[in-house]
Amino acid sequence: MRGLDIFLFEWKHFVRSPFKIIALLLFTVACIYGLDNGADLYEKQNSEIEKLNFISNQKKETIVAYFENGKKGPQNRPRVNITKPYWAIKNVPRYHYKNPSPAIVYNIGKTEQYGFYKSITTSSSPYDTDMAKEIANPERIQSGTLDFSFVVLYLVPLLLLVLIYDIKGAEEEQGFLPLIFVQTGSKNWWILSRAVFYFILLLLVLFVLMLYGALLTDVFTVANAFWNIFLCITGYLMFWFVIYFLILKYGKSTVSNTIQMMGFWVLFVFIIPAAIQQWVSIEKPTNLMIDIIDVKRDKTSDIYDQSTQLKDKQLFNLYPSLKSTEIAKDSILIKGARRSSIIALVNEAMKEAIAKIESDHQTKNEIIVNTYWFNPVTYSQNKLNQFSKTHFNDYESYREDIQKSVDKRIKIMVLDIWNNVKVDKAKYLSYFEILN
Amino acid sequence: MLQIIKNEWRFLVRSHLFFGISITFIFILILSVFLGNYETQKQKQSRKNAKNHIRQQWEKIDQLNPHSAAHYGTYIFKPSNLLSSLDEGVNSVTGNVLRVEGHVQNEITYSGASQIQSISRFGSLKSSLLLQYIVPLLLIFLAFNSVSNEKQSGRLKLLVLQGAKPFQIIFSKTVAVWLYGLSLLILVLVFYGILNIHNFTVEILIRSTLFLVAYTLYYFIVSGLTVFFSTRWQNATLALTSMISIWIFWTIFLPNILMSSAEKWHPLPSRYEFKLAMKKDRSKGLDGHNPSDKRAIDLKIKVLKEYGVDHLSALPINFDGMRMQADEEYGNSVWDKHFGNNRKLLKKQKKTFQLGGVLSPFISLQNTSMGFMANDNLHHQEFLLQVERYRRVFIKTLNDKQTYGGSKTGNWGWKEDNAFFKSVPDFKHIPTKIGLVFSNYILDLVLLAFWFIIVLILIILGAKKIQIV
Repeated sequence: MRGLDIFLFEWKHFVRSPFKIIALLLFTVACIYGLDNGADLYEKQNSEIEKLNFISNQKKETIVAYFENGKKGPQNRPRVNITKPYWAIKNVPRYHYKNPSPAIVYNIGKTEQYGFYKSITTSSSPYDTDMAKEIANPERIQSGTLDFSFVVLYLVPLLLLVLIYDIKGAEEEQGFLPLIFVQTGSKNWWILSRAVFYFILLLLVLFVLMLYGALLTDVFTVANAFWNIFLCITGYLMFWFVIYFLILKYGKSTVSNTIQMMGFWVLFVFIIPAAIQQWVSIEKPTNLMIDIIDVKRDKTSDIYDQSTQLKDKQLFNLYPSLKSTEIAKDSILIKGARRSSIIALVNEAMKEAIAKIESDHQTKNEIIVNTYWFNPVTYSQNKLNQFSKTHFNDYESYREDIQKSVDKRIKIMVLDIWNNVKVDKAKYLSYFEILN
Repeated sequence: MLQIIKNEWRFLVRSHLFFGISITFIFILILSVFLGNYETQKQKQSRKNAKNHIRQQWEKIDQLNPHSAAHYGTYIFKPSNLLSSLDEGVNSVTGNVLRVEGHVQNEITYSGASQIQSISRFGSLKSSLLLQYIVPLLLIFLAFNSVSNEKQSGRLKLLVLQGAKPFQIIFSKTVAVWLYGLSLLILVLVFYGILNIHNFTVEILIRSTLFLVAYTLYYFIVSGLTVFFSTRWQNATLALTSMISIWIFWTIFLPNILMSSAEKWHPLPSRYEFKLAMKKDRSKGLDGHNPSDKRAIDLKIKVLKEYGVDHLSALPINFDGMRMQADEEYGNSVWDKHFGNNRKLLKKQKKTFQLGGVLSPFISLQNTSMGFMANDNLHHQEFLLQVERYRRVFIKTLNDKQTYGGSKTGNWGWKEDNAFFKSVPDFKHIPTKIGLVFSNYILDLVLLAFWFIIVLILIILGAKKIQIV
């Protein structure tokens, strides 16, 4: 019996096994449900971003109208003077977004742990409370959304088990295994051909389901996302295939093979990731952000209480060009400029605290990365997160971008205050352009 | 019957494979309790340090205007619960730090899960993970061929000839396997009790007993159903694969699908919609920081009339503090309305999910496990409510001081001394008593009992239809 015959014979075997067909159908339904969940999230986030952009533009138009009507701000807030850089920049609406990747359809990843938009002001920080995640049921977040990657990572090994668990065992129990070996010539080849049939079948099903996912969002607009994810899934499937094949090859009966397969599944899916999570939380407990809280409270008031000489020194170190401005030489005007610029010093202190926290996160993540070699499920999950731009590192970059945006806003504000810039409509619109 | 159970255990103990697996598993179970406990103690200490640090900052305030102190605010750290070493529930995703301040009700932030990349989808290695997922699998592996083996070897016929009734045989085999699960469960609880002997309270005892009851029922359901399949199917492989399929459906497939669907059926508002609605309602109230606000002027007229004076300066109190408090109280009613709506939706989602227990007893087990260990969303919401209640008292204390502490309207430079700030009480978390929330878990327990009865009926039917020869 040649490989192709064994292969074709397996097709007959498969279509005559209602148990296996039901399992595959259930799996397909779960995948479609997962893909729809991913697409829903993608749509939801994009529609929120659209709404926020609309609000942002509306706010901008309101300020532009003040300039056009010769007003300095809203009537009920006489303090506001939008011709001053301080107030003009304060009134430049800006949301920073973590735009969802179309590949989110395959994998939601860490998306639900974080917010995806942030209003930026000069006093913003990437650890503000408005960075909180979307309102959701914590019990659902804890158990995780049923997305495509969940089905792939946790159910694919089980489906493969259901499809191949009785290879060799069933024949052995029915007593015609020696006959098959005589007919096929090679025991390994026969087991491999049969198992490969299910491997290919599963891969095909997954590929078709991924194509369905690609119809829901524009996955192909993201360079290589589709193929990278498919490759990752193939590798993951291959890992389980090898383990199961070895069990089938050396196994003695269907029952013992099934138990061993389940044992490996439990080990890789539950025990190892859970033990690592436990280890990380003991080794590096959750950061309670005391460093940030300290900056927001004590450090900020310390900065405000500093001597004017020290404040000036720090400001000139931060922005050397301030020293040569006219305001720096004016003992009266410098007071107001200095007061409005203190936020830059607070921002620097905040950045130092954030650096400590990010380094703490990094240490935890390094522990996890070092376990990848014996933790394939976590490795694959994080690889998928990378491809769908929902990895922890993507949110770290998002936080870095927020910080850069805040830095830029503060810098423009401070320089323009010290250079006594007068803001008009054109200048305001240029602020809007630069800061968006 | 007792003899059959004893015999079953003798067989189990004689099996080297079973013995090896059991010893390894017992070691992992004990380790999980120990590590869980160690983690909880460590968390407790770090939260205590953080709490003391924040309180020290507060008590160090020398001279400050009370309303400025309301803006300075404080921070509350979600306390770790002794029972979380058994089942951490939603703790890893709910956030740990809550800023308490005037005018704003902040949300709890900085969850453990947001600080690391993805690791385990099923949480850390707590006893609950092993007891919920792994022990039932062990029970399935022990029970799947318990009757079919007897049939194939002819021992079943022998037992019946000796006078044993088929029901007695099947039921005894179920009990034998169930007792194995039960002993692992008791081992966990006893070890947990030893580690926490000094902190043991009646509340913990009640909660642990309920935890035990829920798992006991679930283990019987799994053991009984597997033995039933072993009775019905001629082939042990079929019994094993049927039961594993059911296990997958119950524990992996259904809970995830149902939870995601429950959130779709009772959708929570998006953060943007929620904030917008809150802002809209808030704008209908009084703006504490804007004296020219129409509602603030109305309040001013009312207060002037009450005190029988013409000008704010003639008031014996500070009207600014009163206006701030009025603003707070309006804000509180807006919060009650909107967060109340969210809580209602969360309750509906929970109820829908609980009803899923009709299809999967695992759902009922999961709900009761984290609920009885005080770490489900219900207990989390109770904690948030306690913080909000504290926030209201905290801010009112400060605003009242501003109003009645001796300053006059407009005197923002007036400051209170350190003794006052030291006198402001700190937040004290009062753990939710099981008696107050028990009604929320009745449905889960009823559904577990329902499954228990169903399995019992199946065993009786299985015994009637069993083919001895």
